[in-house]
Amino acid sequence: MAIILKTIPHLLAWSVIVLVSFRGFTGRRSVVTLSSISGLIIGVSGSCILFRSFPGAIPFGIIKSILGLSFLLLWGVSVASGYSNAVRGEAFCRSKQFFQSSICAGTVTGIISMVAGAVSVCALPVTGISALSMVFLALSSALIAYFIVYAVRFIEKRLPESFMVSPLGMVVSVVSLLLFSSSSILRLDLFSPLSMKVMKGIHDFVHQFMESILIPDHLFVRPIVWKYIGFLFGNGVGFWGAMVIWFAPVFLIITAFLSERLPSVAHIRQGAQRRTLLAAAVTLRRCRLVMPLLSILIFAAAAYQSSYPSVEYWDPKPLAVTASQAGEIFIPKKGEINLEDGKLHKYLFKKGDKEARFFVLKGPAGQLTVDLDACAICKPDGYGQTEGTVICYYCKTLIPLETVGKPGGCNPVPVQFTEKADGVIIDAITLINSWGATVQATARVKEGGK
Amino acid sequence: MSENIIETSGLTRNYGDICALKPLELKVPEGEWLSVMGHSGSGKSTFMNLVGGLDRPSAGSLKVGGEDLLALTEDGLARFRRKFVGIIFQQHHMVPYLTAVENVMLAQYFHSVPDEAEARSALERVGLGHRLKNRPGELSGGEQQRVCIARAIINSPKLLLGDEPTGNLDHKSTVMIMELLKELRAEERFTVIMVTHNQEVAAWGDRTIYLDDGVLVREERMGEKQ
Repeated sequence: MAIILKTIPHLLAWSVIVLVSFRGFTGRRSVVTLSSISGLIIGVSGSCILFRSFPGAIPFGIIKSILGLSFLLLWGVSVASGYSNAVRGEAFCRSKQFFQSSICAGTVTGIISMVAGAVSVCALPVTGISALSMVFLALSSALIAYFIVYAVRFIEKRLPESFMVSPLGMVVSVVSLLLFSSSSILRLDLFSPLSMKVMKGIHDFVHQFMESILIPDHLFVRPIVWKYIGFLFGNGVGFWGAMVIWFAPVFLIITAFLSERLPSVAHIRQGAQRRTLLAAAVTLRRCRLVMPLLSILIFAAAAYQSSYPSVEYWDPKPLAVTASQAGEIFIPKKGEINLEDGKLHKYLFKKGDKEARFFVLKGPAGQLTVDLDACAICKPDGYGQTEGTVICYYCKTLIPLETVGKPGGCNPVPVQFTEKADGVIIDAITLINSWGATVQATARVKEGGK
Repeated sequence: MSENIIETSGLTRNYGDICALKPLELKVPEGEWLSVMGHSGSGKSTFMNLVGGLDRPSAGSLKVGGEDLLALTEDGLARFRRKFVGIIFQQHHMVPYLTAVENVMLAQYFHSVPDEAEARSALERVGLGHRLKNRPGELSGGEQQRVCIARAIINSPKLLLGDEPTGNLDHKSTVMIMELLKELRAEERFTVIMVTHNQEVAAWGDRTIYLDDGVLVREERMGEKQ
């Protein structure tokens, strides 16, 4: 039951995509119906096969890349629409005839439904899915797709004619719905990684740029400037930068619509006829604005869902540990805590005024790993664990469990340890030194879990 | 021979037990100026309201410009009025706090989009180029009625309805208004239906019909008596 509930938002998003396709490809109802249903089935089955063939992060990476491409496509389309309006003074989509053809309608709706189907599958626990479950899932998706498409056809017939979807409106609404659908799945979410990339980009740029002009001390730009550029190093800069990138295409498209020239009516002698034509053009423009405006809400919902995910992380409170006379910290495999249960177990070691937080985790390959509860590049806000990944609370980067224990990027910093039959042994000095040497801001060590 | 812009068959309007318009058979050719005469309560205004899409008949059929008004929804009727009909009322019905040009632009707004230049030009056509920025309270009765004419013709209606448009005016103003309407009709080629008490005003039309107690009792063409 819970599994079915998980797919509802994704199927709803897909239903709206189908509705938009019916209105976008007017007169191609049969083609849209057929390609939507078959696209969803292919998307579901294909991604199941992908998950069976490549257990781990690869299928997520492929689907996420496709979503990223769709966002890039939206960017391209929005810039092109603005360009063609400003420079050539005409609407972007000139080849309307091709857009309305059966081939275009079938191909576009088919591909969109395939992506929507693949995204829906990612919401389910499909890693290591059996062949029988795969067949069951494909059959269920066929049945569900059939009912949804016919329900959407029923609704679409009853919608007012003024609800029209232009090619640009269709692109923006479809991409926004796909991104909304994927934003609830941590490993497919695009907004958080985008804000992280923006944050890192700005940090790096400002750092390099300011350093290059401040050293040696510049005649005009003195070190006091650092006081005024502090906001560029906050967490917020990534968020707001990502918001600009996230919403810019929709606003570009809206601007393109608004700046479209009204038809020339100078040759019409009768004033009323002239005004009727102008009024019709203005009304048409307003109707075409409906989908881009709705897309702003959908993009906002996706960004909110991404910033406040409804995922609960496994994040136990760190247990205090001590070192033996020999300076070794021993953590037993069995006992109060089972180190081999595949969950992340956090510990806190204090020595004098120094402290270090670390965790022990048994990865999917069956290997135990000991890592600092911090990476080498972010503030040490720590990690939480969710299905198949750990997440850096500071930059929201998802790290597949397969790569935990390997150094680099935002991965937890690995700590040397010795595995014994009954537990793991960590050298206390190495641990403290490793924390001190690699963690960026030790002042922010957390005492408790999130 | 020109086509009929209005065709009625058994057109009836009842208000409860009162029959304001008894089954009426009437055809009005396109471009005709039809005067409708009768005493108070004879059904003149009822007829005009039905033809203008302001009211719905109780029975019969009514086609105006090929449009079956009985088949239209409320929205359809509003669209029909907007596109097809211009009305001049005896009481002007102007918005008192808007200027003459704004009153004309209001009609443009409800029709399509306002165009001030066109509204000014319409007022200039009715001889009010110097009164554009005056409010109705600052205009004489004749001037107000000319604003109403400009407002009625601004959307190029095919049918111009006048409900006692000169009822409140003196003889001189009445003649001015009627001459203006005649000129405009010659230019715009709209059909006029003029409801009036005044035999002199009715005489400006091509044909006059007489209603009595909701029944068409007599019909006269200009220069003939039937």
